[in-house]
Amino acid sequence: MSDVLNLDAVGLRYDDGPEVLKSVSWRLAKGDFAFLTGPSGAGKTSLLRLLFMALKPSRGNLSLFNANVADSNRADIAKLRRRIGVVFQDFRLLDHLSAFDNVALPLRVAGQRPESYGSDVRDLLDWVGLKQQAQALPPVLSGGEKQRIAIARAVISKPELLLADEPTGNVDKHLARRLIHLFGELNRGGTTVLIATHDEAVLKQVKAPVFHLAQGILKAS
Amino acid sequence: MTGAGPSETNAKPGAIIPAAAAPLRSLTAVMAVMCYLAVLAVGSMILIDRAVSHWARGLSSEATVQLREISGRDMETDLALVVALLQTTPRLSRVEALPREAGAKLLEPWIGMQGLDKLPVPRLIRVGIDEKNPPDFVALEAALRDAMPSARLDTHRRWESELKRMAGTLAFFSGLVLLLISLSAIAMVVFAARAVLDSNRAIVDVLQLAGAEDRFIAKEIDRRFLQTGFRSGLIGLCLGMVTFLLLGFFGGAEGNGVAAAARGLFYIPKDGPDRQLLWFLLVPVVATLIGLLTSRFTLMRMLKELG
Repeated sequence: MSDVLNLDAVGLRYDDGPEVLKSVSWRLAKGDFAFLTGPSGAGKTSLLRLLFMALKPSRGNLSLFNANVADSNRADIAKLRRRIGVVFQDFRLLDHLSAFDNVALPLRVAGQRPESYGSDVRDLLDWVGLKQQAQALPPVLSGGEKQRIAIARAVISKPELLLADEPTGNVDKHLARRLIHLFGELNRGGTTVLIATHDEAVLKQVKAPVFHLAQGILKAS
Repeated sequence: MTGAGPSETNAKPGAIIPAAAAPLRSLTAVMAVMCYLAVLAVGSMILIDRAVSHWARGLSSEATVQLREISGRDMETDLALVVALLQTTPRLSRVEALPREAGAKLLEPWIGMQGLDKLPVPRLIRVGIDEKNPPDFVALEAALRDAMPSARLDTHRRWESELKRMAGTLAFFSGLVLLLISLSAIAMVVFAARAVLDSNRAIVDVLQLAGAEDRFIAKEIDRRFLQTGFRSGLIGLCLGMVTFLLLGFFGGAEGNGVAAAARGLFYIPKDGPDRQLLWFLLVPVVATLIGLLTSRFTLMRMLKELG
């Protein structure tokens, strides 16, 4: 089975600071579902930022979809990113765009026309319970509503790899279960899913390997 | 509060880069002023060109034969001889001997009228030239010298070339002004493009993480610069036209050359408007191109620097 992500002795430090990730070697194959957990400040977000190429490793090799990121040019990285869906902990919604347009953003970036994606976006907004808020701007939405939009944006393009940073942090238990169920559905369709979370309930909901990150060292638990 | 996104039907999606970017509003104002100056420069070029063409046409359609008085000879007889010679010369449309007073009037500014009747004042013969089929001036001058050594042909060619050289110099300076205006506009667009990108960094980050290529991001932003350039060009063009209109109709008393020339810009002959007026339309076109191409180039370079 082909690797979706492969880290080989990857280290990461910010400027001249201490290493926040220490010689991480890890691989996830197509169709894997995994959790990443660990205490606050352990480096979970840094690891996710490495995986969606917002950061470069200070040492070691990072490959995504069997392409070495260090050898990739800007256009290649943009193409790799289009194969990845990301749920950010701070949502990163565009405040001047409606919920509908925020969700549709990855499809617009991929060059799709509104005529082709309109019904998909509406269906997904309906599924996350935000059909009525389709035209609302993010500043007037609650934290939970923003999180659902961020998740809808991450999954709308049916990515090959889904990275989610605390995706259930702002939603109630019922919705959290539904969202994890959505991730499971995507996974059954072939998407590799990696969820960084503290939520024990979420960890119990899906039987999947859990990777524990502490003091920059990754261990399978 | 709702956004500008599509409604239940597939309406036009909201602009990824917000429309109300402050640097663009300032850029519109500055570029409109630059386009206005460019329209004035273009208008001046057209007016100069028209005036020079008009004057040059007058000069090239006429020549003058000057006949100096030689003691011991009868001036009137010599004059009749030269006129007869000219009348038999082909490709001359008109031969007219001017009275003695015409030559005297030319000397008046330098020596006054007093005692002028006692001086040997040259006689002038005005010769009309068929502009489309002019005579051989060298041969004509030689024939005149043979017939009457005191006759001299003045074809006004020297004045014409001086006039053209002056017009060329003025056109060069107008072109230089246009070039400086364009360079200033380019510098402004570069500055504004950097400001727009800086003020929208968070949006650019999200777009990059969503897999947007530099070209996509640049296109989303430079669309605004295209609109800004076009809008500024149109504002400048309209203001410039209003200026020429006011200059033409309220710019001075009857007979004021500049006012009359400005009025001429709005005169449309039966066979259609003068092609020179198309130069005015180039102002919004060039402003649009400067806005689009400069911002695209600047943004692509900046995005590459952002990494």
